[in-house]
Amino acid sequence: MGDEKKVAGSKNVILCILAVVVLCILLFPLFWIIATSLKTEKEIFQIPPTLVPHVWNTKSYAAQVETGDFNMFRSFGNSLLISFGAMAISVILAVPASYGIAKYRFKGKKMVMLGFLVTQMLPVSVLLTPMFIMFKNIHLYNTPYAAILADATIGIPFSVLILKNFFASIPKELEEAAYIDGCNRFTGFVRVLVPIAKPGVVVCAVFSFLYGWGDLAYGMTFILDQQKRPITAGIFNFMGQYGTKWSYLTAFAVVTIIPVALIFIFMQKYIIIGMTNGAVKG
Amino acid sequence: MKTRKIATLLAAALLAGTLAGCGSSGTGATESVTSAVEGGTEASLSEKEAENVTIWYYWEAENHQKAMNEVIKGYNASQDEILVTAKYVPFADFKKQLSIGASASELPDIAILDSPDHASYASMDIFADLTGKFDLSNYYQGAVDSCTIDGTLYGVPFGVNCLGLYYNADMLQEAGCEVPDTWEELKDTAETLTQGNVTGLAFCSLQNEEGTFNFAPWLWSTGASSYEMNSEGGIKALTFVKELVDCGAMDKECINWTQGDVMNQFISGNVAMMVNGPWQIPTMREEVPEMNWDVALIPKDEEYASDLGGENYAVVAGRNEEAALKFLEYATSPDQVRTLMDSFGYISADKEIAATQFTEDVQMKFFTEQLEYAKPRGPLAEWPEISDAISLAFNQVMIGEAEPEEAAATAQSTIDSIIGQ
Amino acid sequence: MHKVKKFFQYDNIGYLFVLPAFLYMLIFVGYPIVDNIILSFQDVTMKTLTAAHKPFAGLDNYIEIFKDPVFLKSLGNTLLFTVCCLVLQFLIGFALAVFFNQNFRFSKPVRGLLMMPWMIPITVTALIFKFIFGTDVGILNFILKSLGLIKENIDWLTSSGTAMFAIIMANVWIGIPFNMILLSTGLTTIPQELYESASIDGAGKVQTFFKITLPLLKPTIEAVLILGFIYTFKVFDLVYVMTGGGPVNSTHMLSTYSYKLSFEMFKYSKGSAVANVLFVILLVVGVFYLRMTVEEEEA
Repeated sequence: MGDEKKVAGSKNVILCILAVVVLCILLFPLFWIIATSLKTEKEIFQIPPTLVPHVWNTKSYAAQVETGDFNMFRSFGNSLLISFGAMAISVILAVPASYGIAKYRFKGKKMVMLGFLVTQMLPVSVLLTPMFIMFKNIHLYNTPYAAILADATIGIPFSVLILKNFFASIPKELEEAAYIDGCNRFTGFVRVLVPIAKPGVVVCAVFSFLYGWGDLAYGMTFILDQQKRPITAGIFNFMGQYGTKWSYLTAFAVVTIIPVALIFIFMQKYIIIGMTNGAVKG
Repeated sequence: MKTRKIATLLAAALLAGTLAGCGSSGTGATESVTSAVEGGTEASLSEKEAENVTIWYYWEAENHQKAMNEVIKGYNASQDEILVTAKYVPFADFKKQLSIGASASELPDIAILDSPDHASYASMDIFADLTGKFDLSNYYQGAVDSCTIDGTLYGVPFGVNCLGLYYNADMLQEAGCEVPDTWEELKDTAETLTQGNVTGLAFCSLQNEEGTFNFAPWLWSTGASSYEMNSEGGIKALTFVKELVDCGAMDKECINWTQGDVMNQFISGNVAMMVNGPWQIPTMREEVPEMNWDVALIPKDEEYASDLGGENYAVVAGRNEEAALKFLEYATSPDQVRTLMDSFGYISADKEIAATQFTEDVQMKFFTEQLEYAKPRGPLAEWPEISDAISLAFNQVMIGEAEPEEAAATAQSTIDSIIGQ
Repeated sequence: MHKVKKFFQYDNIGYLFVLPAFLYMLIFVGYPIVDNIILSFQDVTMKTLTAAHKPFAGLDNYIEIFKDPVFLKSLGNTLLFTVCCLVLQFLIGFALAVFFNQNFRFSKPVRGLLMMPWMIPITVTALIFKFIFGTDVGILNFILKSLGLIKENIDWLTSSGTAMFAIIMANVWIGIPFNMILLSTGLTTIPQELYESASIDGAGKVQTFFKITLPLLKPTIEAVLILGFIYTFKVFDLVYVMTGGGPVNSTHMLSTYSYKLSFEMFKYSKGSAVANVLFVILLVVGVFYLRMTVEEEEA
């Protein structure tokens, strides 16, 4: 099951070195963000730029926790709520939908798929006003539910399109074996197929969560109270009318990635295994 | 079958829950008003529910927010018929939120907005007519003009500021330069000071309102108005800016620098002189207290000129107009204005109060003097389009994509098509 | 009742599975799409925004935008930008996916770390890249100069040609993890046995790749490409924050120009017309994609 044979010996070493090189090149901007966050405003603009801060400045990190009306922990909680909510809706709705599209031929299937794609085809800015009016009418304006519902509209079509390939790659025999065992369509789906498509489901859950986490437009437009806004809104504390406070802004970026990165690191076992375990066995 | 059932139940529960228990969305006011009710005078709900007045502003600076909240707290404590709360809507989002709010009829009772935008929103018919309700006779004319459309007053100025020339006194002294007073002198001084990693002059030249704000003093100094780009003055201003970039005295990067970025360049010593506003002073004093800088009038061509900035209050029509007005009367009283202006580092729109400000702060005081020469942008509902045409023009000449005459002509044709309507 | 049961007996049961998600999207996005189409046929500006009855404008908005040089430029930009980004981030993402699919010591953690670019708020990424590409303060010029590759600092973001390059680089950087992870997961759907029997049959690495991996990965590749195309085509935050559409309107995309028209110039109907042009182009691409893929499945 899975990629069991590990690469050994000198090949292992070469590949490891290559991997680290790739990492360094690709993650350089991230390093730059961290370096900038530890510099003083004055040094950030030095010509020529310095790779490592000469004078260390940790003021910017201290300011992250509380600035005026903005409280980092509370915003973090808001973001978690919104992201999990969006993820839950996306997975619950998209998993059956992608299964339906993958396994059944019904009339209008193409239209349905096109329909899902179409919902992604307008830039967010023009969707804001009508969505705002909708949420206001159902009294969800200025609640996190508005952001949850809006963010799910990104996760669902994405998940449907990616997951359908997973379901499609499951051989018919497995399904039929389930029916022989006495399952009907729905129980077969839940008990047999979803577990096999788990890598795909995990990917979609992760992406839907991240889309919700990274969302700024919906969270800002549909939520008016500073206390209810997601953590991404905190960026505006450092980007105002008169310009950007760079060390604070980059410190903010580092601080907002950390929780997600931590989740990734601890959940990695499950996520990466979930994502990379062979979907189909024999 | 199970998943189906669970899913439907969850969805139904979610829907029901949200439709029913959305009390939280109604008066978000109560949460953020903890400071307001601290004073001990809680609005007595038994007899008469306090009227809620919501304010939207875009200041992200902590001390700005604190100062405003202090004034609001004081007002709420002084009476119990009206409960004022303020919401922060980031500057980058403010105009968008107002537009969406206008469409969806979800607006605050008072909006504090950037003065050049006032006319545009007033033309949406969302602001209340305040003619005759305030005594603005002592106010700077430009500030009052910015909220007056066709003779009707649609707002009250909050506070004003303008642009001035900052210079690094040490650098000037070392190079043996005097503080420039005319364009000629400015160009010479800037060129002299451009050596090594240092450029002589910088000012924000973005292709947006901020950029136009910084270009306008040059244009107006020639005697031309904002609507006369294709005039002797307009072309002269464009040529001047182009020459500054071409001779290396001004970095082309200015087209990507905000006023904040320009200040950062100044305090890191990359730039010897800059045009900027008084709001930068607190940050500058904090970041580089040892730096020896000073301020002067923006060098002139024909006449001294500067650009009037600041914010205005506007009362949204059709909502709690009376209550909002009462708050505004309080907020525009001399004591409150003084508190606000001093914390903000702004100059009061009321000339009399302005004269008494900054008695000990020479540099801030200077800006009060510079105000004498400051003109407002517009006011015009279509100002954003005009501003765009102007900023496109100086961007084109600065990066060398068009000659001043060409750029001026293009801008003029856009301007004509707008005000011709 | 029997008729209903009969209807759902065979493939039509698919409707039931699909219905909840489809209805959800219809409600929350369908209405905005229709609303936006209607808006583009009206004349809504700051003066008519709050009017009870908005004046009808027919095709005027569309005619005017097609005469607008900035619109035409943004149309070209969007196409160029999307194709370049897609090609680069797909190829790099694919190469990385294949690379990390080999099970060497650090493969899993490093792959996890490479997800980071995607987790950073896009606004921050845009600002950092703006800084990196700065002419004098930017680290890129510094590195290029130190390596002796350039003599003078390149003015990346203040001259029209290079600005496009800069935003493409930034977007590719963000897009690589997306492609890499999806293609990685796609690679896992290929049964190990196929590779084993191929090597027994004496097939080389390249042969295996083209004859086994690619064909089996086709559905995933197609999904990644179409989603990548749609998302890149409507990219907004990155460009808006990094260049604002400049210098001198040279990097405007359809999405940024639409935003500028609607929320900065108060020409809401024109802005929505621009957005609809974007929509139609994507619709055509979407139909094309479906033609190609659904036919294959039924083959």
